[in-house]
Amino acid sequence: MNVIVAIKQYISKMIEESGPGMKVLLMDKETTSIVSMVYAQSEILQKEVYLFERIDSSGRETMKHLKCIAFLRPTRENVEYLAQELRMPKYGLYYIYFSNVISKQEVKVLAEADDQEVVREVQEFFGDYIAVNPHLFTLNIPMCCQALNWSPGSLTRTVEGLTSVLLSLKKCPMIRYQNSSEMARRLAENVRQIINREAALFEFRKTDVAPVLLILDRRDDAVTPLLNQWTYQAMVHELLGINNNRINLSNVPGISKDLQEVVLSAEHDEFYANNMYNNFGEIGTNIKDLMEEFQNKSKSQAKVESIADMKAFIENYPQFKKMSGTVSKHVTVVGELSRLVGKHNLLEISETEQELACQGDHSACLQRIKALLSNEKTQQLDMLRLVMLYSLRYESHSNNDIAGLLEVLRKKGVSDKLRHMVHGVLEYGGRKARGSDLFGTQDAVAFTKRFFKGLKGVENVYTQHKPYMHSVVDQLIKGKLKEGAFPYLGTSQLKERPQDVIVFMIGGCTYEEAFAVHTLNRTNPGIRVVLGGTTVLNLKTLVLTPSST
Amino acid sequence: MAMSAEVREGFLCPMCMKDLGTVTMLQDHFEEEHSSEDKDVLQQLRGLLGKAKKKILGEKDSSDMFDTSSSSMSSSTYAVSNLSVTGYDPSVWDPQEIGFVRSRTDMFKSQRGARVDRYVVETNKLIIRLDKLTSSDAPVESSKRRAFEKSVVQWAPDSSVKTCQFCKRNFTLTRRRHHCRLCGDIMCDKCSQFLPHTFAKKLTDPAFQLQSDVDVGFLKRSDSNASLNSILGPEGDPHIRTCANCRKLLERRNDQMEQRNYKPAIVLLYEKMKMCVDNTEDLLREYLPMVESLSAGESIHSLQKAQMYRVKITKLYETIDGLSKKILNLGLNSEEEPQAKQLQLQRAIRLYASNFMQDNMLGLQSLPSEEQYKMLQERRTQEIQQRIAAERLAAIEAQEREKRLQEAKEGGHKNTPSSVKVTEERPRSGSKKLTSWMPSESNINFSDRDDPMIQQMNIIRGYIKQARQAQKFDEVNMLEQNLKELQQEYLRQQRQNWS
Ligand SMILES: [Zn+2]
Ligand SMILES: [Zn+2]
Ligand SMILES: [Zn+2]
Repeated sequence: MNVIVAIKQYISKMIEESGPGMKVLLMDKETTSIVSMVYAQSEILQKEVYLFERIDSSGRETMKHLKCIAFLRPTRENVEYLAQELRMPKYGLYYIYFSNVISKQEVKVLAEADDQEVVREVQEFFGDYIAVNPHLFTLNIPMCCQALNWSPGSLTRTVEGLTSVLLSLKKCPMIRYQNSSEMARRLAENVRQIINREAALFEFRKTDVAPVLLILDRRDDAVTPLLNQWTYQAMVHELLGINNNRINLSNVPGISKDLQEVVLSAEHDEFYANNMYNNFGEIGTNIKDLMEEFQNKSKSQAKVESIADMKAFIENYPQFKKMSGTVSKHVTVVGELSRLVGKHNLLEISETEQELACQGDHSACLQRIKALLSNEKTQQLDMLRLVMLYSLRYESHSNNDIAGLLEVLRKKGVSDKLRHMVHGVLEYGGRKARGSDLFGTQDAVAFTKRFFKGLKGVENVYTQHKPYMHSVVDQLIKGKLKEGAFPYLGTSQLKERPQDVIVFMIGGCTYEEAFAVHTLNRTNPGIRVVLGGTTVLNLKTLVLTPSST
Repeated sequence: MAMSAEVREGFLCPMCMKDLGTVTMLQDHFEEEHSSEDKDVLQQLRGLLGKAKKKILGEKDSSDMFDTSSSSMSSSTYAVSNLSVTGYDPSVWDPQEIGFVRSRTDMFKSQRGARVDRYVVETNKLIIRLDKLTSSDAPVESSKRRAFEKSVVQWAPDSSVKTCQFCKRNFTLTRRRHHCRLCGDIMCDKCSQFLPHTFAKKLTDPAFQLQSDVDVGFLKRSDSNASLNSILGPEGDPHIRTCANCRKLLERRNDQMEQRNYKPAIVLLYEKMKMCVDNTEDLLREYLPMVESLSAGESIHSLQKAQMYRVKITKLYETIDGLSKKILNLGLNSEEEPQAKQLQLQRAIRLYASNFMQDNMLGLQSLPSEEQYKMLQERRTQEIQQRIAAERLAAIEAQEREKRLQEAKEGGHKNTPSSVKVTEERPRSGSKKLTSWMPSESNINFSDRDDPMIQQMNIIRGYIKQARQAQKFDEVNMLEQNLKELQQEYLRQQRQNWS
């Protein structure tokens, strides 16, 4: 159930099958992302893969002394490119791997192009998704939703991605879906259809308890992606943006050349692996401790007290810099995060967000928002964030002042387009769109829970919020998930509590949810949950999604 | 693609990142500059990382605050409740088998097979005919030649075609019909192809070696030889008239043969280099345990043999270094610069080689010198002797205790069996560090009733057996000596008791 391992095993098998000798890895845009998420260049170099090429690049040279491993999505364009390639082969031998089902017709097209008999293997390896963490995958579809339904092509891609996840993990699941979502129902039916049509692919050894695929719709919880985050991975994505493990730091003031783009990969970076779920304060402490101890050992007198000192320290020790490129990378990233937090008043904003999402009293919240909107430090994106949260939370409150807040936004110079998104978010994830009691106002049990939570004292005002998905999955693994709201597709039902669960979020999941799933996995031995989404959201990306309505 | 980050390469010193050029230079440098101090630094660094790990995974002090001038989080509001849930640990889940795969190769090959097989059969037919036409006993004089050619392949009757199948023009008195000598089809003179005998030889005889780099192939047609139709080419080389279809098939075969036989310089160098890498890996697999054992002062392996291995490996490193540098510089000084991708390939191979050498350099630095080894051996001998002495002492003590017990028993009850817990009394200090074979209790069978002296001897017998299995013959000797002494002592005591 580890998606990183699943993809890695596919890639290393491909490379093994081509035997010894110099190799080139031929990929398309998407498979390039798939591979680069799990393998570092040095790691793949060890397996005699010396060149990486894109099938759609025109500048490739003829190099008959190379074996070519082609890892491609089975799209029409790729089959076309590949047929062209085979008619005039640039490399000596070809080992072809498609990331999903390839039709007999397409196999024929390729076979007819292979006059020179350069093809040794044609196989389907179902690595048709991007593995982010061991339990998190994405399909990198930025906008899957149009007019509140599947946008053209994205349903097909989602079905392909999701079935390949199932095949790569060898799971033939029972499917449950969010009843309130038309998109979820359609996706569930399409996945079922593929499982039935390609029955030969899904004949796995029966496990005692059938795995469950749970399909959810982001519209049920539009709040989670609106919140500022404080755990490392989630925070980096919210403030800097993570794209295939890469972070663009070129906008950071005074950044050195080799740090303009950094890679954060838990597979290859021990510090990141150990700290990705830690909160901001802890990471700073961990970096500081590491540096301080090293400093003591190197008998230096200067005291490291601030991020700025740490930076100076690193720059003064070039040899240390090389041996601990990771540390300097994290110092830079954490330094930038801390700069942004201060500059944009994110602590205060986040506290208000959490109140809005969790328990806040209406008039107090409204006042705080108004104060924050007039604060010089608050940037437009955060203004929008606050007003959107307020609208979702107090949509049906009789005295709500959405109109008044929108007017403040207008006065603050927030563009029409952005202000429209407040209504967009209400349409996308408002009361009418939801099948759930997101804010726990109706359910007596949920209300009592919240009440007790309040009594216990708030351990951390910045991380009170728990994604709604957390409680859904928690109920699922306890066997308590209501069938009315999350029906099974088909007649068969699970009698036992599920053990292997794949949760898929239409519209994109968040790193906060990935952290929640990680917690569930850690605290429920024997239960394995994998989370996926059409994309991994931050506010910037969510703002794009409903705007297409 | 984005994966190709610039990485420094060469014989970089892991401590100061200096590029030393060769392995020997690097080793000298390392021994001179960083023999002791930098090992400490490495050790410290490792300790640091370990500590950081503990900090991150273990209990955390929630009041620890990350206080920067810009952020003003207060510690009381910034503690996380579930500290145990942190970090990234893929090992929580069981190892998994590889995901589902489906091969389409058979389907592909059966689709390709039909057509490609036809090519192969067709081409083979042509090759057989070509062989007949160019054989030494084939008639040369034109009168007999034509009949002979017609016997090799049946010629299409002139009446069967009105136009040339290639240029579609009508045959006339001036545009006459010509036959392909390989398939018998008809074409005009302009569309005829001419295959020299040297090329035919190359195609029909796999052992045929070209004298020089002369480019053989079909004759190039120019205006001057447009009407060429005798059996002699411009250089007097005999040739054969064929059609364009046959030409295509034969050239395809030629390409395949060339690709099979031709290895560019980079491949030859690379194969040599890769062989050295594989050899090095094999040698290291044997060498590393030797170093470990020798550094512990053991004498399973001989120091000379290990030194020999070391020399061999060092030589291999130098060969790998040399070959990969040659690959890196291939074609750099020639008139035609290699193309960009070729250069990228050469650089990647060099990077592979230097990564390999750097990764495996550690094993090479720590073989003890003759004197050091002697000292190590002596220390080990002493330690073993101490251990055995300690065990003997324990045996004697146990025996004494037994005697006392016996005396007490003789005073009181007579039948209480003695149950001496030998395990607790046997000192083990020192033995842990020394050996990889640890004496295990399970291998030693003795009854509680035995005399402790006998028990001791049994234990030592057990050790001897294990040491022998572990091929630690120096220990076997010492233990046997020890056993002999014990036996003598025992006999002496027995005699005393009986007397
Ligand atoms: Zn050095
Ligand atoms: Zn013609
Ligand atoms: Zn012909």
